[in-house]
Amino acid sequence: MLNVLWVLLIGYAAGMVLPLYPRQLNTQSLTASICAIVATCAGIALGLLGLIAPEPVTLSIASTVPLLTFAIRLDPLAALFVFTISLVGLAAAIYAVGYVRHFQGRVSVAALGALFNGFLLSMTLVVLADNGLFFLMVWELMSLASYFLVVTEHEKADVRPAGFFYLVMTHVGTAFVVLTYLILFQSAGSFSFDAFRHPEQALPEGMRTLVFLAALIGFGTKAGIVPLHVWLPYAHPAAPSHVSALMSGVMIKTAIYALIRVYFDFLGGQFPWWWGFVVLLAGTLSAILGVMYALMEHDLKRLLAFHSVENIGIILLGIGAGMIFHTYGLNEFAALGLLAGLYHTINHAMFKALLFLGAGSLLYATHTRNMEEYGGLLRRMPWTGLFFLIGAVSISALPPTNGFVSEWLVFQTLFLSFQLPALFLKLMLPIAAALLALTGVLALACFAKAFGISFLALPRSAHARHAEEVPVAMRIGMGILALLCVGLGLAPMIVVPLLDRITAPLTGVSITDKVLALDGWAVAPGDVQFSSISPPMLAAMLILGGLLGLLLAFLFGGRLMTRSYKTWGCGINLSPRMEYTATGFVQPIKRVFSTIYQPTIKLETEFLQKSRYFAKQRKFEFHIEPVFEKYLYDPVIHIFMRIADRLRILQAGSLHLYLAYIFVTLVILLLFAV
Amino acid sequence: MSPIIQSLLLVTAQVIVLLTVSPFLVGLIRKVKARFQCRQGASVFQPYADIAKLFRKQPVISTTTSWIFPATPYILFASTLSAGLLVPTFISQTPLNFSGNIIALVYLLALGTFFLILAGLDAGSAFGGMGSSREAIVASLTEPAMILSIFAIALTAGSTNLSTIVHKTALLEGIATDPSPHLMALAALFIVALAETGRVPVDNPATHLELTMIHEAMVLEYSGRYLALIEWAAGLKLAVFLSLIANVFAPWGIATTLAPTAMGIGLLVYAVKIAGLAVLIGVLECMFAKLRLFRVTDLLGVAFILALLGLLFFYILRS
Amino acid sequence: MQISPHTGSQLVDLCSALLLLTCFAIVAQRRLSACVDLFALQSAFLVLTAAVVAFLTGNHHIYIAAALTGVIKVVIIPRVLKKVIERLNVKRELVMNVNVPAGLLICGALVMLAFFITQPIIPLGFLLTRDSLAIALAIVLIGFFTMIARQKAVTQLVGFLVMENGLFLGATAATYGMPLIVELGVFFDVLIAALIAGIYTNRLQDAFDNVDTNHLTVLKE
Repeated sequence: MLNVLWVLLIGYAAGMVLPLYPRQLNTQSLTASICAIVATCAGIALGLLGLIAPEPVTLSIASTVPLLTFAIRLDPLAALFVFTISLVGLAAAIYAVGYVRHFQGRVSVAALGALFNGFLLSMTLVVLADNGLFFLMVWELMSLASYFLVVTEHEKADVRPAGFFYLVMTHVGTAFVVLTYLILFQSAGSFSFDAFRHPEQALPEGMRTLVFLAALIGFGTKAGIVPLHVWLPYAHPAAPSHVSALMSGVMIKTAIYALIRVYFDFLGGQFPWWWGFVVLLAGTLSAILGVMYALMEHDLKRLLAFHSVENIGIILLGIGAGMIFHTYGLNEFAALGLLAGLYHTINHAMFKALLFLGAGSLLYATHTRNMEEYGGLLRRMPWTGLFFLIGAVSISALPPTNGFVSEWLVFQTLFLSFQLPALFLKLMLPIAAALLALTGVLALACFAKAFGISFLALPRSAHARHAEEVPVAMRIGMGILALLCVGLGLAPMIVVPLLDRITAPLTGVSITDKVLALDGWAVAPGDVQFSSISPPMLAAMLILGGLLGLLLAFLFGGRLMTRSYKTWGCGINLSPRMEYTATGFVQPIKRVFSTIYQPTIKLETEFLQKSRYFAKQRKFEFHIEPVFEKYLYDPVIHIFMRIADRLRILQAGSLHLYLAYIFVTLVILLLFAV
Repeated sequence: MSPIIQSLLLVTAQVIVLLTVSPFLVGLIRKVKARFQCRQGASVFQPYADIAKLFRKQPVISTTTSWIFPATPYILFASTLSAGLLVPTFISQTPLNFSGNIIALVYLLALGTFFLILAGLDAGSAFGGMGSSREAIVASLTEPAMILSIFAIALTAGSTNLSTIVHKTALLEGIATDPSPHLMALAALFIVALAETGRVPVDNPATHLELTMIHEAMVLEYSGRYLALIEWAAGLKLAVFLSLIANVFAPWGIATTLAPTAMGIGLLVYAVKIAGLAVLIGVLECMFAKLRLFRVTDLLGVAFILALLGLLFFYILRS
Repeated sequence: MQISPHTGSQLVDLCSALLLLTCFAIVAQRRLSACVDLFALQSAFLVLTAAVVAFLTGNHHIYIAAALTGVIKVVIIPRVLKKVIERLNVKRELVMNVNVPAGLLICGALVMLAFFITQPIIPLGFLLTRDSLAIALAIVLIGFFTMIARQKAVTQLVGFLVMENGLFLGATAATYGMPLIVELGVFFDVLIAALIAGIYTNRLQDAFDNVDTNHLTVLKE
């Protein structure tokens, strides 16, 4: 297994260096992609081997820096994330071969390819690291690599502030992550993860709470849980689309990995009920607000970024419910919650990456991210359209795709709350389930909008009219993920036992036999009589039902030719301006949930001079209030700006003064040393 | 008879029952409404003739559409029928019980809704888009209430699988065990059913006025066999919800064994129950006017609160 | 005729649940006359509850209270209110201080609150049923909320009457009814209050051509 690991490390390392040498732009990107493909294939193998290996594999290289060892440990939890990262990485690497052409001549393709490999390597090492300092190093590398990827198109004005915002937010998060590890280090006396697990003296209760909160804030910033999500809708759209796919699909998941690692592994799963409740609350809030803000977006990539917030929320709902059950010793249900969360983690990685790649294809073909300028693309880009549709169905959790199975498992976990002893939680978990249902159906509305406005009806702009299907490499990249979306939905009997290998050590019980029934053909948490679904059976029912429809149409009607005719446009020829827009589509939702959106609508009309009844032009403006930015972030930024203003006195611009500062500091330090 | 063949036969029987009964329900509601408006009204069997006629007509497809448009009727028909197979009709134990519980049913119906919304947008006319947009908001408001009311029912029976719920309650006293939570969940689910099947006061299936239609606006461009399938699927959805309400809240008389007499009685009782519910819907449609779209929130808010109260009462009574 | 205590308490539960349901219907209803009808329905359920309690406990004076409720709250007060509405020509409440869905959610939270507050009392065991007291408290709270949320004087009055219904339910379910003389006093108070409020609404109409109580703010000048 170590050989595979070396292939992975060398592959990425080569990918970080080799693309910088060739002169030919095409060769540069091809080299980067080939290196990444080799490494990710190794990663997929490594992940699978790690999932079925009986014992965790470790590798440790000592360093000269005290407390730091380059320690790597591949246990099932890490293996799952290595697998997911590599799988999405593979699709993105293949996709990049075609997609990067779009950047040639504008930005350095070589640097893009090298950073892409570096980003994948750092993510893989984050989940493999077995030493706190090493983890922090690669965590920081991951943040920096993604920052440089976000600002790839730095010549665009809106990209630079997005990148800066991301850099600031991610470092605020990192500060809390460092705090988490320092507290753990204090009791363990070493940065090795093994020492974290079995500290010399147990952490006092207050410190444990601090670890919980610091980890939630620190990793939550990376994961994008509300209200720490504000950077996502800026950074993800700014990055090149195959990088957005990685960021949204897997990078934010490393935070989920780290949360599970800290709560269940380091802290041994010993926590009061309110920890789980806080996580559940954060999950519910993220899910509902994420989808609500996504609905109002007409920039396709921003829309997808907000959906990442939503799905992180769904994952946290599963994990939070699992934590609550764990507190009360209901370990089977705890395992189910974790399993549901992890299942959704892989699924979200697949469909979100697919959707971002699809959005990239639209950007590639039309050079715009604005949905109002798309339209009619399904006829022009049939493959992209099909793959995007599969992604949209998956993210809307509709059967028989993967999103449905994992969301269903989250529902079941929440429904099992009737076994809890506390009345408060018994009521809160079903309410969370109801809000999850609202989230699910709003996601459905949102993707009906995203797909319907972008791909159906008439083209709304010249860009869309002249769109062509994207190159083969990009289609293959999307196709792999689309197949996985369907496959992961139809084959829970393969996925569940693998996930069980992760949750069993964390919760102490193996639940494969309990979750799978009828030789794996049905998923039935607890008991077939309580609840069960059989995704293969549902798929079969749907196909047979469709065939029955065809048969009935043939039996009653015989073979009839259809006639084509233009849509009736109330007597005038149909034009794109008569179609429903994305803004119009969500107007009722905006109005019903106006309490949340706080919309400001401005309509100015200039009338013709001859008559008050004919408008010369109308100006319509509509904004929704960015509540968190306005009431949470702006005041904080304001305070910092004022402090910075005061501190400006120190900055005189004189070299002598700066030397004096250093001198004084040195003297003070020497005095302390005495 | 081997169990597999027996299951296959039962599934076929269920498909036939659902397909035959659904146009009848639509016809019955129309008849009741006509009589209340002092009209003779068409025969209750008129919808059968309508569907048969539509199948024989040549369909017209808009030139602006993609493959989504002709595929949607089949997907809608398949998803609604699949949902129907999860609901017990005349026997309490459906053979496909294992393949999906009540949440799967909700999501199967959502699959049909998703494609119908897409089809509404596909033809490019403003009517279709308007219908789709409205359907999206109505669906969003319905779902939470539906999930909560379902959960309140599931708690009493200790199961979320429909067959198990019905079988257990049929063998016990039915809803008499916990009247108040059940009553609230029933009221909530009934409102949800009205909204989901596009009946008054949420939507009006008889209208073609652009300001008021929701479902009709989405399917405005359909004709021929596509329209036939969509109409049939709409009837099926009604049958699914009526069967759900009838059998979950009043499972009396349903066949709990596979004995021929029990099944015969079950079939008869089932027909009476859903016909009764259809008449009730017809009467309600005559009593109430359609609500404005933005007043639908009030109604569905009531459904949500009712379901929540049902849950609360269940826990309080059992604690 | 004998009814088992279990069935009896379930019957009371069911009746009080119906009372609560009508409360929510009132909160969701915008039409004034329908609000009054719903209040009459709620009072009818209250009569039923009181009668069942009277039958179960054998306290015959509750029958008298029930009959009085029937006469005053199901017949007289709704009639007076209907007259007022007819004269005022106000059909529905267009603007509310809290919109209906939000109001429903708040009322749902109020019910939960009521349940949590009364939780410690249930084990004491003197209550006839588990949740009637909680429902009574919830009805009082919702009535109070209606008075805050609505702008028209008539619906505010309905809110007040709903509160009174809640109190009566609490008194019957928790303590098997107050002494008859107290009940009689309360009934006359309510009747007089309703009549006075009816007159006051009429005066409001005369003074402002409107029954919107927001206009009362003008009086301070």
